[in-house]
Formats: sequence, structure tokens, C-alpha cells
Amino acid sequence: MKIKGRIVNEGNAAGQAVVLDVPFSFIGDFDPNTGKITILNHPMFGESIAGKILVCPSGKGGTIAPFVAYEAMKKGNAPAAILCREADPILCESALAIDVPMLDSFDEDLFQMVKTGQAVSIENGEVSVEEQA
Amino acid sequence: MILTRSEEDMASGKHGPGLEKCMHILIKFGEAMGAERLVPISSAHTIPREPPDLLMEMTEGVGQTGTFTTLHAFMSAFDPQLWERMGISEEYAAKEIPVLKQRIEIYRRLGFYETYTCLPMLVGNLPRRGDFISWIGSCAQLFVNSLLAARTNRDGAVLNLAAAITGRAPYRGLFLDENRLGQVVVELEGVDPHGITYTDLGAIGYYVGSRAQQRNIVVNGLARELDISYLLALMAPLPASGSVSICHVVGCTPEAPTLERALGNQEPAEIIRVDKKAIAETKELHALSSNDTVEMCILGCPHCTIQEIRNIATRLSGKKLRPGRRLWIGSAYQTYYLAQTMGYSRTIEEAGGVVTSSCMATIPDSPIPDDVGTLVTNSFKAAHYISRLTKGRVKVAVMEMPDCIDAVSA
Repeated sequence: MKIKGRIVNEGNAAGQAVVLDVPFSFIGDFDPNTGKITILNHPMFGESIAGKILVCPSGKGGTIAPFVAYEAMKKGNAPAAILCREADPILCESALAIDVPMLDSFDEDLFQMVKTGQAVSIENGEVSVEEQA
Repeated sequence: MILTRSEEDMASGKHGPGLEKCMHILIKFGEAMGAERLVPISSAHTIPREPPDLLMEMTEGVGQTGTFTTLHAFMSAFDPQLWERMGISEEYAAKEIPVLKQRIEIYRRLGFYETYTCLPMLVGNLPRRGDFISWIGSCAQLFVNSLLAARTNRDGAVLNLAAAITGRAPYRGLFLDENRLGQVVVELEGVDPHGITYTDLGAIGYYVGSRAQQRNIVVNGLARELDISYLLALMAPLPASGSVSICHVVGCTPEAPTLERALGNQEPAEIIRVDKKAIAETKELHALSSNDTVEMCILGCPHCTIQEIRNIATRLSGKKLRPGRRLWIGSAYQTYYLAQTMGYSRTIEEAGGVVTSSCMATIPDSPIPDDVGTLVTNSFKAAHYISRLTKGRVKVAVMEMPDCIDAVSA
């Protein structure tokens, strides 16, 4: 299964998807020391995004979030790529700060196509999602 | 993206890897956000919280900043000179100091101005109306857009640093006239504009921010005579409970000579009505209970003006902090020197207080001393962040400045 999106930051990556249903920020929603999601009372609380493909609707606030993303990268805890419905400025900056592939504005609904745990690969702006076993 | 010759040179690495990296970030970001070009900026204001490796990468081979660049308040309440007197733990200091030294070395090499304040316009970074700038700090961004009508986007820390180093920013968002118009009108109902207090204004800002979210607001019905610190009290909570970028105040701020002009002669998307009940209910969110013991007082979020320091010193005159109590006051170094010249800082320090250039909202990791269970402040922004960052360990109440001082001194 393949979907096409707009390239915000180019690059190729592969990994397991972690799908969040809420806008994400590297500050507040994430611990750079562990790579884990820290959104209280959320089903994905405690899930690691280190080396994974982060899928979320968008980003949000927190002007120093890109610094936190960078700290996470230095510790090996940053995501390998970011896919979202619409890139907001801060999440876009975060992807650029750690130079991981980022895509948005997909031709199909991202959240119908990708579920947590599925293997995803990104090559030349095309996202391949492995059928669930 | 259309680049000028000198921008192309920077982007191609002709002037070294730091400028190449910064230009790469600006171009990629600009393209993703629909900007067709970059524009020169007349000033930048950046945040002294960079991961040292990133700061080194982005400044490698760079001789000086690309534009006049001031530095934001030390992020976190940590002050490299005063931390012991503030009661901040040695463990915290041991972590911060070496990183701070690495950063300062780079700041001095590139000529970042070490203003360390959230109000850079009060200490020499004074853009003119219509200037394109890149400023950090949700409050500084809101103040400069609203009070001075200079134009900054709500840039994040990395784009902002790239803008400071290159002297360029993507032409987009709040740089454009049409994105600066008011969208939501705030009407004060049954509130006497001449009897309005500092914390009334803070409560109004806190109430409105959560309802306006990211939209530009126009406040109608305030008095032209409001002191600058009162306007800051109104504006500071707007990006805490919401993410407002512009707060026009009719008759007070440059882009709002009239309500119609502030709205661009269009109908507002919404009218938020604020009455006495809304103000009282907002204050209830951060109220003291009769059985609370106040251990600490925090003032200066945003940083105190010299008039505020004077008022605090007057209130403290002849008093001392009660045993075990703490008083932190945030203000720019430059203001501190004036307060020293005029004797105000001596009054505050002799009473047991500390005046520091660090962030009194204590963002991002709130090193409030362990012995503090309840603190008072006159700032809704500080109350918002400290209560969240300390995860409920510290109760924060909002009161007028004189009441805050009286709660910890005698």
C-alpha cells in the first residue's frame, strides 16, 4: 500500500509507525532522555518514538521544542521520520533541526492508512505501508 | 524560493558551514510554509537555551550575528550568580553552569547582546513600526507585535537562531498586512476602565487567551492612560492559556487607532464579553485558601519595569522577609543597575529578596526550592506555568503586588 505526500524535508527512512491522534509537541508531550511519549491519560503514554515513524495530525506551540528534538537526536531518541496531515511551523522546524524526513498533505487519509506498529518506509516522497500480518 | 545573490552565497556554503546550515533551515522552512522569498530583519531576539552542539553547528565559521541580536531571559529561574541565594539546588547548578559557559563563549564571539530579558525593547532593542524582526519568547513576540507594531512571526527557537545568524527571515505570516488584523473583539462589560487593577488585567488576559486560541484579538474599552506594565499584565497570559500573537488595544496600540481600523473594516469572527463575574471566576482558579501558609513570593513575569521595582521597594521599606520565606524578583540587568543607583535594590536585598535576570515563569523545568509548598505572584502567566511544571507540588496563588509582599514580609 503506497500513499503520496508533500515533501517538507526530504530523505528516506524506515521503521515502525507510532500513530498519535492529537497534535504533538517535543516539549511537554515527550521526554528526550527516554524517547517516550508523556501525554498524561493518553493511550500512547509511555510509548517510545525513538527510531520510529511518528504519525500525528499536526504540531503545536512550544518555541523551544526544536531544541528538545535536537537533544533527543543526540541521545538516539528522536523519531526517524515525521508524517502529518498539515505541517505547522514548530513541528516543521523540529524536523529540520534533526534533519529527518517529513511529509504532509497526503493524497489519502493518513490515519485510515497507517496504524501503530505497522512497518512504514519512506522513499522519494512516497510512503509504503506494510499490510498488517 | 527566490534568493538574492548574497543569500545564494550563504546557502552554497561559500561563507562557511554555519551560514549554509542556517540558510538550509530558512529555505526549507519557508518553502514548506509558502514563503516565496526571504527578507532582511532589523533585529533578532534569541533564547539562551540552545543545545551547545547545535549552537556550534549553526555558528561554525560565522564571525558575527547577521543582525542586532539580543538574548532572552535565562531560561529557567536559574541565575549563574544568584542561584545559591535563591535556594536552587547544587545538583541543578552543576548541570547548568558548564553548558552556560559553552554558550556564553559563542555569544561573545558572535556579538550577541547579553540582555537576558523578556522585554528587550526596554533595554535597547527597539524596532520601529513595520520592521521585520525575528523574536523569540511568546510574550516578547506578542508585545512587540502589539505594542510597537514591528512584525515578528511566532518563530520557534531554531528558525529564530537561523534568522539571527543570517539576518534573514521567510516573508510570511505576520509580516503581511492582512494577517495582522483583529479577528476577535474583546468587550469589557460593567468594568470601570479607570478602576481596573493589575491582576484584573491579568485575569482578563488569562480568560480571553483560552477562548481566542491562536486568533488576533482587539480589546475595546480600556483607558489610554494605562501604564505599560498594566498593558503587559493584560497581554502576558494570552500566549499561556491560548496562543495569541497580536493583541490590539483600541486607542492604545499603533495598529488600533479605532476598532474599525484594527478589524480592517470587517466584522469580527467572534465577540468575547468579559464582565466582573468572568474576572472573579478566573481569579478563583489561582486563589489562596485561608489555611495556606505562603513560603514564597515571585514577581517580575514579565520582567519588572523600573517603576515596578520602585513600588516593590517602597512596599518592602522597613520590613524583612519572615523566617524561611523567599522573594524572587525578575528584571533585566540594566534595570537592576538603575535600581542599584537609585537605592531600590538595596532595600529589596536588605529585606532578604533577590533580583535576577532569569525567567520567573520558571520555564522549562521550574527549580522551585523543595521547601516551598505555596507561593504567591501577581502574574497569571507565572501561576499557569509554575503550577503545571511543578506537577501540583507547588500551589500558586495570584494577588496584587502589595498583598504578595505582605504575605512573606513583616
